[in-house]
Amino acid sequence: MNQPLAPVHRDDASAQFFDATAQGRLLLRRCNDCDHVRGPEVPMCTECLSESFEWFDAVGTGHVESWVVLPGRSGTDAAPMPRIVATVELTEGPWMISTLLDIVSSEVRYQMPVHVSFERPDDSESIPVFRPIDHRA
Amino acid sequence: MNRKPPNFAIAGVGITEMGRVYGKTASSFARDAVQLAVSDAGLRVSDIDGLLINSPGDLNVFLQRGLGLRNTKLLAEYQAFGSSAGAMIQYAGMAIDAGMADVVACVFADAPLKEGVSAGAAYGARRPTLKGFPAIAMSGGYGGANPRYAMAARRHMLKYGTTTEQFGAVAVQQRQWATMNPMAQFRDPITLDDHQSSRWIADPLRLLDCCLVSNGGIAVIVTSADRAASLRQPPVYVLGWGQAHPGMVQERGCRFGEVSGAVESGRRAFDMAGLSVADVDICQLYDCYTYTVIVSLEDYGFCEKGEGGPFVASGALGPGGSLPTNTGGGELSAYYMWGMTPISEAILQARGTAGERQVATHDVVLSSGNGGILDYHSTLLLSPHPHV
Repeated sequence: MNQPLAPVHRDDASAQFFDATAQGRLLLRRCNDCDHVRGPEVPMCTECLSESFEWFDAVGTGHVESWVVLPGRSGTDAAPMPRIVATVELTEGPWMISTLLDIVSSEVRYQMPVHVSFERPDDSESIPVFRPIDHRA
Repeated sequence: MNRKPPNFAIAGVGITEMGRVYGKTASSFARDAVQLAVSDAGLRVSDIDGLLINSPGDLNVFLQRGLGLRNTKLLAEYQAFGSSAGAMIQYAGMAIDAGMADVVACVFADAPLKEGVSAGAAYGARRPTLKGFPAIAMSGGYGGANPRYAMAARRHMLKYGTTTEQFGAVAVQQRQWATMNPMAQFRDPITLDDHQSSRWIADPLRLLDCCLVSNGGIAVIVTSADRAASLRQPPVYVLGWGQAHPGMVQERGCRFGEVSGAVESGRRAFDMAGLSVADVDICQLYDCYTYTVIVSLEDYGFCEKGEGGPFVASGALGPGGSLPTNTGGGELSAYYMWGMTPISEAILQARGTAGERQVATHDVVLSSGNGGILDYHSTLLLSPHPHV
């Protein structure tokens, strides 16, 4: 059991991104001048500094580059609920940091494959999170 | 490239009371620190004609008026986080070398601790709200410096096999030094077991991997080498210096957590001074976390890349070790004044006035500043001698 996610709210820069997450889509930016792909939060191309870009849909897969386990706060009537937050290298190249669900911390591995999914707490935008890609299937 | 001998020196340092000292603002600590630093140098506040200021946010150029300074020739707030203090001393020295100013005070002060509020809550109160892209990570509790450095530390562990016990070795050795520093906030010895049983802050970082939080202020007086030689304290010369701000982009191929700005910042400082790591007697390394010490040691070249863990586990950093490091206890055990923590101890050690914890050989002292999440870096090579 993981501690629930805190609600996330949009601002002007993230409005289109969260419109897409509401539809279950993860958007990235592709530079119109040099085709370099960058994260959704990066305003300017990190290769050629162009601000001209188009949004496109990520395939939604990646692998774990690093992770932290946050112990959570113990309440008076409940055990602490740890959360795992991972740095994921998306298949397209950019890194994204978000919560890793459906796994216990002792089972997380370096370069473990994951896929994006979406969680929507009350009064929140739909938040991209990651879950392990199950190889047992 | 070898440079002409420096024309400036550090002539004074002022360290206020540190820790849970209540009822004072950052400005008030800054004024106290400057007063202490000029008295240490044998100067008066009115001798100051340059003022450089660094703070997490509560201090600004109004400090000039707070000190009653008139006709100041150099005045600025400087912000590159933990690298700032070292950088300010570099700029102060260059201004003096250029004839722009004669006596420059560089000051840091902060007062985040409030009575009855935990250190973590006091420092964390500055976090932004959950809005926009940064909120995606923060929705899972990823906010502030602790989890970000934990993310960096984990990458170092994954790449190089560094262990939590090796992080602990840094904490234990620095506490050994702190027991001999009357200014240190934590002076009781700790063991590796104490480290291993301290609670997780952000796994892989435990409580005893994290710096403390302090109220206080530190000021450093920089003046010309000639003037410094006629003042109260033995001058401390800055033989070489450097900065490096990597500007890493987090995408495929990024080496986040594996390396820091110390690689280039250090090389520039050593080249300028015509020195190498083998010449360094004492290290004061920016230690916001135990991990930061390990990655800095590797990047400066005190050991091979990836060998920082075994190097610190050998006991090299503690009293009697081959590379006395963070000899006042550092930010982990003494006080957290951003880049002024390593610099203040480096000055005392270079002078030879560090009391019970003084290291016998102190011809070259390296001091590092690290800010952001390994984003900003500065290095100073200090010495009691104008030439080494």
